[in-house]
Amino acid sequence: MELVQIQRRLVDYTKSLFMEGFLDAQFLQLQQLQDDSNPDFVFEVVSLFFEDSEKLLNELTIALDQPNVDFKKIDSHVHQLKGSSSSIGAQRVKNACIAFRNYCDVQNIEGCLTCLQQVKQECYLVKNKFETLFRLEQQIMASGGSVPTIELGF
Amino acid sequence: MNSSNGNGSMSTASSSGAWNGRDQFPAGLRVLVVDDDQTCLMVFEKMLKTCLYQVTKCNKAETALSVLREHKNEFDIVISDVHMPDMDGFELLKHINSEMDLPVILISADARKQVVMKGVTYGACDYLIKPVRIETLKNIWQHVVRKKARNTF
Repeated sequence: MELVQIQRRLVDYTKSLFMEGFLDAQFLQLQQLQDDSNPDFVFEVVSLFFEDSEKLLNELTIALDQPNVDFKKIDSHVHQLKGSSSSIGAQRVKNACIAFRNYCDVQNIEGCLTCLQQVKQECYLVKNKFETLFRLEQQIMASGGSVPTIELGF
Repeated sequence: MNSSNGNGSMSTASSSGAWNGRDQFPAGLRVLVVDDDQTCLMVFEKMLKTCLYQVTKCNKAETALSVLREHKNEFDIVISDVHMPDMDGFELLKHINSEMDLPVILISADARKQVVMKGVTYGACDYLIKPVRIETLKNIWQHVVRKKARNTF
């Protein structure tokens, strides 16, 4: 595929992620922080997020499986996940965390379990989206091109 | 200034703590940022560096407190997350307010009014909701100047 076509594909794909709510404006903030001195910044931050979120999701699974559920602990983990997901612009993960916290507040175990599944699903989905995004970027760089920037005016 | 141990870690951008040259201000503003979440910490560090601030990061409040105690007068402002295990942002804020004269900004994904109120009444000079935009961080120098002005008059 020609360089121009891949670049076009990347732009369209990124826009679709915003349209579908996977990403929000915070992701653009991250992209703006990336520069020549730190060309892999977005990739590094996103990778760090998935590393951390996997641990948090494991902790949450274990915590909800206890005979006496510690809702304070669960709330703390979900809060952290909400903060980190919002910091990278992973909107749907963040929103799933908000719903999760509401069930946690009223100590509804079933609700929490459903939300945990939801959060796991959203993390899985956005992880795949990011992988595609980074793959397209790599293809562009490998062809000697530069990654096009997204304007928020669409 | 680099140290790490099993309980907490911190890293700093530069070893010289001096900020001089008013014409460059707020470049070189010496910021200590505290957050137990490494994703958030990485984003903050990059944003603050992009603002041309001198950034030291900590992932534990206790570490931050010992750094501040050991290196008094080498920081202009502290930015801290609220919800952290062991010592939280409120406690850190209380210690800083009683022991030293530094502006403290609290940051959290928690936007509930009672929590923000707590931060303000405990003496945080600002309370920011995550995700924080770089534009907001570009303005934090105002808190440093404001505090200095209050102390002078």
